[in-house]
Parts: sequence; structure tokens; C-alpha cells
Amino acid sequence: MPDTLSTTGYQRALDLGGLLRASLNSVLVAVVAVPLSVLVASLAGFALARLAPRTTATVVAASLVALMVPATALLVPRFAIFRFLGLTDTLVPLIAPALLGTSPLYVLVYYLAFRALPADLYDACLVEDLSPLRTWWRVALPLVRPVTAGLTALTFVLTWSNFLDPLIYVYDRDLFTLPLALRSLSLLDPTNFPVFLAGAVIATVPALVVFALAQRRFLHHDD
Amino acid sequence: MSARSGPGLRAPQPRTEDGPASARSGPAAPQPRPKIRTVSGPDTRSRRQLVLMLAPYLVGLVGLVLVPAVVTLALAFTEYDLLRPPAWAGLDNFTALVDDPIFRVALLNSVVFALVAVPLRVLLALGLALLLHRRAVGTGTARTAALLPTAVPEIAYGLLWLWLFNPLYGPINQLLRIGGEQGLTVLGRTPPQWLTDPTSARAGIILMSLFTMGETFVVLLAARRALPRDVYEMAAIEDATGWDVFRRVTLPLMAPVLALLAVRDAIASLHFTFVPAFVVTDGGPPPYATTYLSLFVYQTGFEYLRYGYAAAATLVMMLLTVAAVLVQWRLIRRYRRLYTF
Repeated sequence: MPDTLSTTGYQRALDLGGLLRASLNSVLVAVVAVPLSVLVASLAGFALARLAPRTTATVVAASLVALMVPATALLVPRFAIFRFLGLTDTLVPLIAPALLGTSPLYVLVYYLAFRALPADLYDACLVEDLSPLRTWWRVALPLVRPVTAGLTALTFVLTWSNFLDPLIYVYDRDLFTLPLALRSLSLLDPTNFPVFLAGAVIATVPALVVFALAQRRFLHHDD
Repeated sequence: MSARSGPGLRAPQPRTEDGPASARSGPAAPQPRPKIRTVSGPDTRSRRQLVLMLAPYLVGLVGLVLVPAVVTLALAFTEYDLLRPPAWAGLDNFTALVDDPIFRVALLNSVVFALVAVPLRVLLALGLALLLHRRAVGTGTARTAALLPTAVPEIAYGLLWLWLFNPLYGPINQLLRIGGEQGLTVLGRTPPQWLTDPTSARAGIILMSLFTMGETFVVLLAARRALPRDVYEMAAIEDATGWDVFRRVTLPLMAPVLALLAVRDAIASLHFTFVPAFVVTDGGPPPYATTYLSLFVYQTGFEYLRYGYAAAATLVMMLLTVAAVLVQWRLIRRYRRLYTF
């Protein structure tokens, strides 16, 4: 059992690992990627709920296939592609998954949520001559707010804790995100538990705070 | 020539005739035009808008999944080390894979992990969801507690378990030693050597994975809440027992969601074994006890720079994925036929 309480672990973690710089990089990625991702997912989900059944079925099937492919299976080819594009050792590959809504599952969740809205509602919007974009923004999106809250939180957590992508794409210490900096911290001395656990706490807190804020929305609302 | 110019000359005539005619007839002629516009005009326009709304996602789908998948297919038949351009290798990578003992171990480890961990994870998530979907004292806190491990970044979670699993100083073995003597448990056995014994290490990775089923739990919670309330009221009127309600109402209604989640989890397990194996056990203890396919692909590609070989292993991983999906879909179809009549 530990003998004394002290905060030296935190100080050492911050000094040794360059965690401040890494935190800023992580924040930068999250600020760009998370809103973009939720936007892409909700737009796509809405379009799927409103497009012709045949188009929808094709895209849903493609999404399920994309969902089937484990992230690790795409490591090598994605790396080859980003290298070909000259985008390795930048933060772009860490933001790129936002175009997929971070996970096709989130697009499908939005699709199901928008499809579950009453058909009368969409008919009324047609009668009112609202464009799809306006229907999405002013009518449909406010009605699925719990979904948005939940998916935003999950997207943030996935983006914030993304370890594999930075591990592969980023070599420059100045571009390290928090998970990657944490890994190099633990490599310095794998038995120095206070230091790297302090780093782990620093990396965990933002994710937990976002969760605590959002979970009331998607866990505690009783109908 | 004359035959061609004929219609060309004739064509404008009806138009010029039509123009004044419609202007002359006043209200009668403009009427059909707006009608056509409201029916076909905005319809195609809104369809175009919907397609535009879908476009970014389609770009992601093609650029980040479809194209990489095709690239994998191509790379698997080459030798590629990033320095020189890919060289055609035919089936060499695949024959090498078959003979590669490390790959075989990795494949076996991944399959065993999926077979053991995924059912446990889904069951745990379902149990918690059914337990906590109602409003009662403490459920809110319990739900949060069930979710929290999932919100912890993978790497931080891995480092935490590196400490928890430490055979000497780790809390798990300290707890197991309570009541025992000379570093043994109460039953007089040595506590597990989590990171040095192959079986314990595998069990440890599975244990780690159980607590991170939060995403499955949230979806199941939502799915349970979306079930129609009157069905349960009916069941209550019929005096159905809790087990009957679960077996005949809840389970069949939630079966599609459960199937989707189990498929997703089985496939995800190919991926989420990576960080624990990479950080906590480093693929060991010997002989490659926790080297899973994901770690194998990573090491082959990014440590030994054999991208072609790694792509071939990736292809095997994808085939495995497809097989898992097919098996589970078939199971679920049979399952649904049992219940829907």
C-alpha cells in the first residue's frame, strides 16, 4: 500500500511527458473532429430517412459492411493512402474519421431516430414547403436531442482516447496527442506507477466530465 | 440536309406560336406550369439536397473504408516496405502465413477471445440494462458506474490494469492474499502471475475487456425503453412470471438489437484486443500468449515494415469477420423464426 499522499506524481508526469503540449493537441483534434463528426452523422442519418428506399437500403448495407470491418484491418491500407497523400505526421489523419461520423454505427443510430419520427411530421413539413435542410435543422434535429447528446459524448470519448491512429501517423513529439504522450511516459519507467497513473488521470478526467454531463441526457431521462 | 433542317425550322414555330397563345389565353395557360413546378421541381431539388446531405458521409465511406479495403486486397499480393514500390509476390504472402507459427497462434488467440469475451460482454450489458432500465433509488448512479470504464481512454485504462495486475504490488493480488499466509491466498494457492503465466494473461485480457461494454449497455438500455409498454401490461394481466416475460417478450423483441450488437462486438474484439496486448502484456508472455491478430498486423507492418505480409494477414482478418457475420445472421434468422408466428 502507498505510504503517503503527495502530488509529486502529477508534477513529474507534467514535466517529463510534455503532457501540456499533448493536451493542447488533443483538444485541437477534438474541437475540429467532434462537431464535424456529429454534423456528418446527423445529416447522413436524416438523408437516409428521407431518401428513396432503394438508395437508403444500399447505403445502410454499405454502412453495415463498413461496420463489419475492424479498425485494425484498415490500418495498413489507410496508412499507405495517407502516406501517398503526404499527410502522415500531421493531425489530418486523426480528424479524417469524422467523415465517417467516427463510426457508421452513429449514422445508423441517427437514421433510426429520424425514421422513428412520425410520418405526419414530415408530411406537414412538405406542405409547409420546408426544404430538407430546414426540416433537418428546425424540426427533426431538436426532436432527437437525447440522441445527439449521447452520440456527441461517445464521439468525443472515441476521439479523445484515440490511441491507434496517432501511434501510426504521428512521429513528431510536438504533434503527440495525450494518449500517445502517456504511452511514451509509461515507457520511460514501466514500474513508476505514481507518475504514469497521474498521467492516466489527467487523460481520463476530460472524457469522464463530458460523460457525466451528457449521460443525464441519454441515461436518466425517463419517459 | 434538307431533311435535317426541316424539323429544325419547324421546331421553333410551335414555340413562338405557343408563347403568344398562352399569353393571350391569360389564366388558363399559366396554371399548368406552376403545377408542374410544385410537383417535379422542388421534388428533384429536395432530392438533390438530400444527396448533398449524404455526400460527406459517402466520401468518408468510400475514402476511408472502400478504397482501403481494395488497397488491402492489392497489397496482400505484393511485397512492400514503404521504401521501394510494391513488388508483385503472387500468393507468397499467403503460403508464408499458413506456415507462420506466430500467425497461427495469433489467429487462435483472437478466435478464442471472441468466443469467450463477446458472450460475456453482451450478457453483462443485457443484465445491467434490464436491471437498470427502470427508475428506482440508485439506478442513476449505477448506470453511470456501469458506463464509466468505457469512457476511460484505452491507453489510460491499459496503464491502470498494468498496475492492478502487478503480481507483487498490484491491488488484485493484494486482495487475493488477504487472509492467506506467506504470499498465498486463503486456499493456500499462489495468486495468479497475471503477466507472466500464459493462461492468466489471457484471462486477464478478457477480464479487462468485460468492464468496457458501456456502449452495448447504452444501446440495450435505449432498446429496452423503446419496447411498447402495453405488451408488459398485458403480460402482467396474464400473471406471467419474470422469466416468462423475459423469454417471451423482452428477448424476442430485443433479439435484432442483440444480434447487431453481438456481431459488432465480435468484430470489434479483433480490434479492442490491441491496446491491452500492446500495453499490458506486450503480446507475451511467451510463447505469444496474448498476440492477437491486431497486434500481429501492427508488428508485421509497422515494426518489421512488411506491409504486404501485414495486408495478407489483414485479409484473413476480414474473411474471419465476414464469416462471423454470416454465422450470426443465420443464427438470428432461425431464432426469429422460432418466435414470430
